[in-house]
Amino acid sequence: MELTYLVIAILICVGLYAIASKRNLLKIVIGINILESAVIFLFVFSSYRPGGTVPIISGNHELFVDPVPQALALTAIVIGASTTALMLGLVIELYKRYDTLNITEIRKMRG
Amino acid sequence: MEQILYYLLLIILLGSSIFAIATKNLLISVITLTVFSGSLVMLYVFLQAPDVALAEIVISGGITTGLFIVTISKTEGLE
Amino acid sequence: MRKLYCLILAILLASMFFMAFSGLQEVDMELSNFYLETGVEETGAINMVTAILFDYRGFDTLGEATVIFAAATIISFLLPKKQTTMLKDDFSLLVHKSIKSVIPIVFILGVYLVVFGHLSPGGGFTGGVILAVIAILWTVVFDLEYSESKLSYSTKSLIEDLGALAFVIIGLFGMIAGSTFLASGQAGFYLGTPGEILSGGAIPYLNMAVGAKVGAGLAIIFNSLIKGE
Repeated sequence: MELTYLVIAILICVGLYAIASKRNLLKIVIGINILESAVIFLFVFSSYRPGGTVPIISGNHELFVDPVPQALALTAIVIGASTTALMLGLVIELYKRYDTLNITEIRKMRG
Repeated sequence: MEQILYYLLLIILLGSSIFAIATKNLLISVITLTVFSGSLVMLYVFLQAPDVALAEIVISGGITTGLFIVTISKTEGLE
Repeated sequence: MRKLYCLILAILLASMFFMAFSGLQEVDMELSNFYLETGVEETGAINMVTAILFDYRGFDTLGEATVIFAAATIISFLLPKKQTTMLKDDFSLLVHKSIKSVIPIVFILGVYLVVFGHLSPGGGFTGGVILAVIAILWTVVFDLEYSESKLSYSTKSLIEDLGALAFVIIGLFGMIAGSTFLASGQAGFYLGTPGEILSGGAIPYLNMAVGAKVGAGLAIIFNSLIKGE
């Protein structure tokens, strides 16, 4: 199970690498998406208790999984979706104005 | 058995995220993003979080992929 | 050369994050144990995640619903209203007929997830997004005019405003009943026996308000993105 933290750390850095080094606007949005999903996965994984069950209290379960990070993860997913929608709206606007998705060319054109 | 499946999903997660960044064709990259969020949903089911799994599959599997494909159809599909 | 620097930076960060995260699971569940023990009596809902989202942290969910509201407004304001021919690959008759028969099922699933939010997994957000998928199916399979004729832009934004208004009014009921804003359990609403549909105080109504709001908001976002030429 400890390996999952390593996978989350690698995912965060893959997302950061994509944002830092990619030229294409859509690749940057995909990188941000991967970064968000990795952090949400960290939330849900840190809420897991070995042997715990779903936090729905019906029947005689004793050990429950931690519901608080799951509630935050749910909120984070929905907010991530609306920010992604906003970013894509802006990408379409940028493409209409500069007719390219490459940020270096856009920076050159903006002068 | 679950351990094997769990680690397999982790490998799929990593592989699809790296492939989504590396590939040139944006449409393939978006489809790989769907594979990424699909394996994430299965991991959430393993971690006893059905609420989050439902929200993840509907939102980042459905709506976000749809928005990406609409954006690609309005802009260009190759890097 | 630049990519090499980014790669080295990424590897260093990965090791640092790994060391930072490794102890997160052993943190003691002091707060959530309180939620798990007293949750059912105080809120009446048995799905703890929804109980936390809509009763203990109702104000936080109101903030999040405004985020979706803001995103929908900005996108529909950002992109021009001119009609455009887009995605004109008209599907065969088979697709039209099958989608026409699938949509009622998707609607029932969405409403089920919204109404049973406090009993089974799901909730206002998940059900709302599934309801938004119906408007998106109309736009993608049929064309934009069909989708706008079925559910015009003004009705969608009306539904969104009503959802937000209902959420705030239910919150005010909490204050009228003598407790704080958006307090459904402590404000003495009818909690009912846990496990039935009409249990959980104001949680089912908050779920419906958020479901309508998220559904209409995402439908507006999708149609506005398609409309911009």
